[in-house]
Parts: sequence; structure tokens; C-alpha cells
Amino acid sequence: MTRLIIRRLLLMVPTLILVSLLIFALSQILPGDLGRTILGPYATPAQVTALNHKLGADQPIAQRYLSWAGHFITGNWGESPVLQQRVFPMVMQAFSNSLLLAALALVVIIPLAILLGVVAGLRKDGLLDRSITISTLSLTVIPEFVSGVILLVIFAVTLKWLPVTALAPPGSNIFTRLYYLILPAIPLMFIELGYIARMARVGTVEVLARPYIRTAVLKGLPRRRVIFGHVLRNAMVPTVTVIGGQIGWLVGGLVVVETLFGYPGLGKLLVDAATSHDVLILEAGVLIVAVIYMLSNLTADVIVALLDPRVRQRG
Amino acid sequence: MTDDQYRRDYAHHLIEQVNKGHMTRRQLLVRASVFGLSATAAGSLLAACGGSSSSSSSPAASGSGQPAPKAGGTLRVSCPDSLTALDPVTMYDVGGAVMVQQVCEYLSWVENDMTLRPVLAESWSSDTSAKVWTFKLRQGVTFNEGSPFGADDVVKTFERLVDPNSGSAALSVLGGILSPGGTQKVDDATVAFHLDKPVADFPVLVSSSNYNAVILPRNYGGKFPQTPVGTGAFMLKQYTPKQGAMFTKNPNYWQKDKGFPYLDSVEFKFAADDAAAVLQLQAGAVDMQCQTPFQGSQALFKDPKLNIAEVPGTGFREVAMRVDKDPFTDKRVRQAVAYCLDRPALLQALFGGRGTIGNDTVFSSVFPTSPKLPQRAQDYTKAKQLLSDAGHPNGLTITLTTENYLEVPQYATLIKAQCAPAGIKVNVDLIPYAQYYSGKGANQVWLQVPMGITDWAPRPTPVQFVNGMLLSTSVWNSSHFADPPYDKLAAQYSATVDEASRLAVATKMATIENDETPLLAAFWITQLSARAKNLYDVGGINIYLDLSKAYLA
Repeated sequence: MTRLIIRRLLLMVPTLILVSLLIFALSQILPGDLGRTILGPYATPAQVTALNHKLGADQPIAQRYLSWAGHFITGNWGESPVLQQRVFPMVMQAFSNSLLLAALALVVIIPLAILLGVVAGLRKDGLLDRSITISTLSLTVIPEFVSGVILLVIFAVTLKWLPVTALAPPGSNIFTRLYYLILPAIPLMFIELGYIARMARVGTVEVLARPYIRTAVLKGLPRRRVIFGHVLRNAMVPTVTVIGGQIGWLVGGLVVVETLFGYPGLGKLLVDAATSHDVLILEAGVLIVAVIYMLSNLTADVIVALLDPRVRQRG
Repeated sequence: MTDDQYRRDYAHHLIEQVNKGHMTRRQLLVRASVFGLSATAAGSLLAACGGSSSSSSSPAASGSGQPAPKAGGTLRVSCPDSLTALDPVTMYDVGGAVMVQQVCEYLSWVENDMTLRPVLAESWSSDTSAKVWTFKLRQGVTFNEGSPFGADDVVKTFERLVDPNSGSAALSVLGGILSPGGTQKVDDATVAFHLDKPVADFPVLVSSSNYNAVILPRNYGGKFPQTPVGTGAFMLKQYTPKQGAMFTKNPNYWQKDKGFPYLDSVEFKFAADDAAAVLQLQAGAVDMQCQTPFQGSQALFKDPKLNIAEVPGTGFREVAMRVDKDPFTDKRVRQAVAYCLDRPALLQALFGGRGTIGNDTVFSSVFPTSPKLPQRAQDYTKAKQLLSDAGHPNGLTITLTTENYLEVPQYATLIKAQCAPAGIKVNVDLIPYAQYYSGKGANQVWLQVPMGITDWAPRPTPVQFVNGMLLSTSVWNSSHFADPPYDKLAAQYSATVDEASRLAVATKMATIENDETPLLAAFWITQLSARAKNLYDVGGINIYLDLSKAYLA
């Protein structure tokens, strides 16, 4: 088990190097360039060329990559040439905002989705199963920009129960911040709920059909012990894996929700950095998202191993 | 002839123009203000013209049920964040400009009716050739860190703006007009601009319409968010990229004796998206939006809590046809397309009628002095005749390349529909915004396609459109129009001070544009700004925002 964790952590290093190389290469094929972004559409080509030269943006890509990587590893994340702000605090601020929103969404989603999924699985094909499946699936298919706007119009504009923006005033405590995040978290719950609940349902249905469950029931175990001791533990395996894969998206991919709710998170920061050729912010942000992806997948695998001894022995 | 005599003569000349019916009263006010005649002088000019008096230039509807100004309060403004670092020298977008304008001021401010209001300059005048412009500066003004404002600051500011290495965005306006060394101090309260060529509109080019031209202290060294020094009504307290900015009242503002500014503070909340801004306005989370696009904001127009300020604008959509590429090499084909357009219907469909009909010339009737040509209207008989004369009796097929941006795709679809009855089949090629403007220099997609629609932001004078897109030397000449007589007229127009001759030259230029039809200018878009009903006396619109007299009541 420990060996598995150490091996996976070590594997992260080459993965991150590959990701950082890929971003550097991809940022080269985006239309436009750094100097043009900073100087705007009215600057002459000569002005743009001069600025690109001054910023070193015209040097060979390999040279720029090595220089960036050297600084990045030593903790010097540099200053964004576009925004003239230090990269580290900007990215970390956005990251902590994203993390808070993702955490709020997950705290609600995980128990609720598992509960609904397992209940539906136990009542397979019954009325309860049908209504849970249909309602969670219909919520999942609503894109977040649609559900977000509808929620804003109802709860922020018309009823005025909740704030229209997701960012609490500066200096607010954690409860105020969470209050501001209720509305933006709901579209995320809609999307994830159906997905995770469906996984939990499938897991439950599959496990219920296994011979060892029949044995457990036939040897007279109480229904509660069958469900909690045998069904749940085994049914959770695919669900945990799916949740692990969704965390990276919840942290770094919420461009639409962040834009609609005016929330300065990592997703919007990355999109802006990509369109403005701000490679320093792009690299830092994407690497953080990559680390989150790998860590959440690793955590999911560890939990699966704890749930299933066979996985543990293989590892 | 001394300058004073010259100004008197010019004043008489303006009166004559109005009395002869060559100019309207509004045009007189605009020209007088550009020429540096004070508002009182302009008022007495109007009186000299005789007839009924008009008060067209007063921006505030004072005495029309507007409550008395009230001091205090925080105004919350929704705008996009600056795309790049907040810096007066390099900024080029709405967010950057409107924030800097709270801290810093210009020599003069362009009002919504295009008159110039003196701010840090008290008056200005030119020599007879319009090549040397002298500005008298306001005395007793200090920067918010305590140092006095004077001629050295103005000289340094403009030297910085015309320095090709400063990254100045103002070079697009001042390049070829004002060179390094051209701005000279006469005395502590006087600055003279020695231009490379005569420019009759020069005061406009150093006013707020050139939004980079805020007067910064002589020792400004970049990093504006850390050293936000200016003479303006507010001071920058905090700027957080992607989130917002907070400004507080400048207690030593030079107009504090008049009670300005009324507001205690101004908060900017950055909206990354128009839908988000609309919802924030509806929820009352912000009090105003600098620029409200028509498309997508329709819900605001009937919101009882909001007013929509409307100012006729000089922004438009250029439908360029490449005069060097078949089938557009024949001007009759270009004219035929122009005669297919039902302009009032287009304006109604795309902007709910909020705009001014265009006549395929950049000399829009929105500009104060504009030529009057017969208005082009939809005429399919004429269009078919032109096509047949050009050798396309059975019609033809053309491709219209369009950026996927704002209402431009809808415009393209309408062009396609309106061209069909004349036998012109239009294939619309819709491409992403970034792709449309991609490429380097003259090879950019939008400068190479045979026919395209390009969005042009408002400009304070038609000269900037002419220089940008219609001269043989223009870098954004997407129609590839090159006409030596037109180039010559453009140089003449820019240098002409006399109003009647200027209008005559403009008429010749507009006639060439309209006849050659390298581009279609079917409408000019009115600028909109949604504002709370209890907010009064906001100056400017879109990229211009003067809150020094604004109040919440």
C-alpha cells in the first residue's frame, strides 16, 4: 500500500514535466502574440516586434522553456507581463477560491448522490428508483449556464434571497463566503448529482446480484448488516473512482459558472491567460490543476484499495 | 495677424456660416469649442446669430424635476476588467480607461454632443496655419500626492505618449501629427504643440477622446496601481485584477469649492460577461454599466428601476468589398450590393432602431459637420440594372466572411436575405472572432477576405476612420481602396480650418466614397448605458466616464 502511494507520487514528476512542455508548445499555436495583447489592436507591427523582443518572447521556445522551468522549480513564478502582477499570489488566490467552491459542492453532492443511488439500486425498477433516476438525470443534462441563469433570476433578482455575485466583500468570514457560494454551487450539484448517483445505483444493483449477497441473506443476516457490511462496501468502488475523476474539473474547469457569477477562480483565470498569451499564469494554473487531478485520482485509488482487499494485494 | 485677431475673425466666420444656413447652431458650438472659444464666447456667438436661442449643449436636464445634488454615497459601476495591466499609457479598452479617468484628468473633456469642455487647460488657440497650438493651463491645481500641476507635466505626458518605445496606445491617434520634441513649455502655465502638419481638429486629439492622454505627473514611471497619481476627483484605494477596484473622494480636488465630487466613493465590479452584468443590474447589485450592448440586454430596457442613457455614436460595422478582387473590381457590383440594403429595417432588427442611418461614407451625419448627400435606399430595380451592366445579368454568387461577435452574424444573415431578390447569392462564412483578426500585418484574415464585416469602435473625428481604412497607405484598408485624388483631398481636409472649405472638401470625399462604394456603412450605432434611476449627472458613455459631478439621490 505504501509502495503504491510512493510509486504514484513519483510518477507525478514526469507527468507534470510533460504537461508543462505541452502547454508551452500549445501556447505557441494560439493566434496573436504577447506584444499584441499588451499593446492592443492599434499598435504598429514595429512596436509589437520591439516589445516582444524586450520581453524575450521572440527567443527560441526551448530556451524560454528552460529559463521558465528553472525559475519555476526554485519557487520564482515571476511576474505576468500582461497584468504586471506577481504570478504566485494571483494563481494561489484563484486556486483557493476554486477550492472553496469545489469543496462546498462536493460536501453536498457526495453523501446525497450516494444515498440516492443506493436507495434507487435497492429498489431497482420500483417507483422510487424511477423517480430518482429520471429527476437526477434531467438535472444533469441542464447545462450550467442555463441552470445558473434560471437560479439567478429566481433567487437573486426576483426573490432577492441570495446575492447575485459569488464573491463576498473583502474581509468576510468563512460563513459569509459560503453563503455567497450557495447559488453557484447548485448548478454544479445538478451536473454531478445524476452522474455520481447513477454510478452508486449501478454498483448497488451489480453487487445485489452476486452469490455472496444471496449467501448472506440465506444464512439469516439482518437486512441492515447485509446492506452496510456487504452491499455498500462493494458498491462504492466504481463510485469512488468516478468522484476522484470529477474533482479536477470542479477545481479547474468551472469557466462558465465563474464567469456567470463573477467569481475569480482558476478556470476563468486560465482561459484569460490562454487568450492573452500569459504563459506564466497558464503554466502555474494548469500545473496546479494537474496536481489536483492526480492527487484526487490517487486518493480515490487508495480508498478503493481500502474497500477491496484484492486491489490492496495486487498493489 | 495676431492670434487674438485671428480668433475674432474665426468667430465672425462661424456666425456667418450659421446665418447663411451652412451650419446648425449645434455645429457652431462644437466647432467653437474645438477652436478654443469659451462657452460664454460661444453663447454670445449664438446670440449674435439671432433667432430663437437654443440650449442644445447643456448635458444635465436641470430644472426638469431632477432632485438637488446630494453629497455622499458609494456608486457601484459594472465594467469589464482591463485586459492588460492598469496603465494610462498602454491601456486600450473600456475597463482600463474608465478606471484611470477617475484618478486622472485631461486637458479637455469631450461631452456627449462632441463639444470640448476645458478641464486642465483653460483655453487654447492655433496659429493661422493650424500647425502650432497653444494651450493655457489651469492654475492652482495639485496632484493627489501634493505636487502642483504645471506645464512640465503636460510636456512630459505628451512626450511619453509619442515615444515609440513607451508602448503608448495614443500613437495610433498622434502618430504622424505630433513627434518627440514637438511639445514645448512656453511658461509654467502655457504649452505649445508644434505639429508635423496642420491639423484643424488637434484639440480633439489631445482631449479625453484620446483616452490615453490623461495628464500624469512629470516623474511618472509606470506601475500605475502602485502609484496612482493624478488631479482627478477620486483616488485609487485598491485594485484587485479580475475582481474589482475601489476609489475614494479626493479631499483636495480642485473643484471642491463647488462641492465636487459629491460621491464619497466609487466601486468598480468587474463583469466578465454581459449576461452576468445584466443580472447584477436587475438585482440592484450595481448602479450602472459603462457600456450596455443592445443584443442580450433587452431585459434592461423595460426595467422600471433603470434608465438607459442613449448617445448617438460613431461606431459602425464596415462591410468591406475588395476593389482588387473579382467580382468587386467593378464598382457597379459594389453599388448593387449597397442598393439591396434596407437600412432602416437593418437598424430596427439589429438594434431596435437605436442608431443613425448611414450612407456608405465614414462622414457620418453623427459628426457635427457632415456632408449632405442623397440618402441611399433599397432599390432592387437599380441593383439589377447595375449587375446587368456589369456583365452579371443572371446574378452572381459572393462569399461574406464574418466574425462571430456581437450582432455581426445576424447582420450577415440579413445581408444575405436582402441581397437574394436582386439575384446576388451570398454565402456567409462565419468564423471565430480570434480567427477573423488573426495573422500578421497586412496578412490578417480580415484584411484579406474578398468581403467581410468588421466592427469599428467610435472615433471622435471622421479623419481617424479615413486614415485607418480608406487611404492607399492605411494599415486597416480591408477594401484595398486606393484613389490618389481621394488621398489628396484627405490631406487637404485635415489641414483646413475654414468651415465652409472644410465642408466642401468633406463633401467631395464623401461623394467619392459613396460612388466608389469600397465599403458599406449602413448604420451608426447609438451608444447605450444602463443606469439606476436615482443616479444623476454622469458624464460620458462607453469608454468615457466622468463621475466628478455625479450623485445618488
